[in-house]
Amino acid sequence: MRITFQQELADLEQSLQSEAGLVIRSLRGALSALRRQDVELAEEVVAFDDEVDRQYFAIQEGIQQLLARQTPVAADLRLVLAMLHVNLHLERAADYCVTIAKLVKLAQALEGDASLVEGLEEMGSRAEEMLEVALESFADRDLERAELLVDLDEMIDTANRRLVHDVLALGGKPELREWGLRMILVSRCLERIGDHAVDIGEQTAFLITGEFREFTDASHPDGSSAAR
Amino acid sequence: MSETHPNLVRIERTATSSDPPLSAEAVFDVLDLRVSYNGKAALQDVSLQVYRQNVTAFIGPSGCGKSTFIRCFNRMNDLIPGALVEGTVRYHDRDLYAPDVDAVEVRKRIGMVFQKPNPFPKSIYDNVAFGPRVLGMTGDLDERVEEALTRAALWDEVGGRLKESALSLSGGQQQRLCIARCLAVQPDVLLMDEPASALDPISTTRIEDLMHELKRDYTIVVVTHNMQQAARVADRTAFFSVDVDEGGHRTGVLVEYDLTEKIFTNPSDPRTEGYVTGRFG
Repeated sequence: MRITFQQELADLEQSLQSEAGLVIRSLRGALSALRRQDVELAEEVVAFDDEVDRQYFAIQEGIQQLLARQTPVAADLRLVLAMLHVNLHLERAADYCVTIAKLVKLAQALEGDASLVEGLEEMGSRAEEMLEVALESFADRDLERAELLVDLDEMIDTANRRLVHDVLALGGKPELREWGLRMILVSRCLERIGDHAVDIGEQTAFLITGEFREFTDASHPDGSSAAR
Repeated sequence: MSETHPNLVRIERTATSSDPPLSAEAVFDVLDLRVSYNGKAALQDVSLQVYRQNVTAFIGPSGCGKSTFIRCFNRMNDLIPGALVEGTVRYHDRDLYAPDVDAVEVRKRIGMVFQKPNPFPKSIYDNVAFGPRVLGMTGDLDERVEEALTRAALWDEVGGRLKESALSLSGGQQQRLCIARCLAVQPDVLLMDEPASALDPISTTRIEDLMHELKRDYTIVVVTHNMQQAARVADRTAFFSVDVDEGGHRTGVLVEYDLTEKIFTNPSDPRTEGYVTGRFG
């Protein structure tokens, strides 16, 4: 029994969960900053990304060490590979939070629309829920729950599409149009965070089944599969 | 794609691997094999096929019967008193254990390399020439020796000193000499029982590279206790384990046999998983 190795694997997985915690904090911060038009908080969110990055690099380094020294195989190998991907997805999700925070700063002096912000907040909590489901189902090795992410993602996607119409409906006032364009990007960021959560779910499926498979295939939406 | 979307820029699709597909032509076909020593089973219920120009690895804990098994492929167990091989081992559709099969002829077609390099205390040349001489093989002997040494990736190192004693070579060179000795009689299959376990890492790498080269022309079966070696060199891997009965008697069994990548990424049997990940065994 390779006790040290198993402990190192478990520690790395724990670090991944803490990284997810940081990303969720960052997302909440970005959404609060949006709601309150709080530039200071937005700047904090930008600065906070360094913490996510530190965690990201530490996990990356840990995985590199494990690969070099322990040559994991079978379920251990799948776990290491899945963690490598999940780590990157979390880091990217955090980057989208930074982008949202920067957009808040750009939009803060502009006239906005409260109901549209509400819609974005709803998307944000949906994205947060998705990250939670993704990380919990990864920790629990729960394939069924991971597959729920597809339905959750569909809701964010729908909200993202609806938001474009809402922005167009804001009218022709230049300031409001500029604000609306920024908000389309915020919406897009939230939608992308949802996509990363789905990708994490796919890693859970890989970890459990040993097979690479996309839950949904954007290039073959009719369900036909891509040539491998 | 280009037919349905003529205006699209055609994307050149490249193959992901340059390796030729694995052969599925069976060289050995083993069915319900049981090997016992003095009535006690050392290995039982083994059925598998070894495919042409594949490297097939047998892995498993000590006492799982992997060495016993590889010895069935060239009837080495015949030499052990009290050993009994039951079931069938077919070699290119011939029963290897049929009464009319000449065990010496079998060992010419199916060469074996052992854990410890065992060159004869003779010159490098005579070691390689020994087999062809004994078998009365015709043709240019010098040429045969050079070809065997070249194929064993040893010619560049010893070509200029063939008259020197084989015992003057390093361990890794001696092992390649033993491989050359097998190759000199133009075998079809090379059996290797822990061929690198007595060698240092660099010599080990050379043997592994050599196996990769040799599988273009030969079928290779290797027993190894080094799982990473199996992962590196083998196309297919068989995992053997030990069943212990109520009386404490240990018998080797075949647990799982599949493509190596499957065994090391997603094995089907929890016992294989436990062994390759080091959780037991």
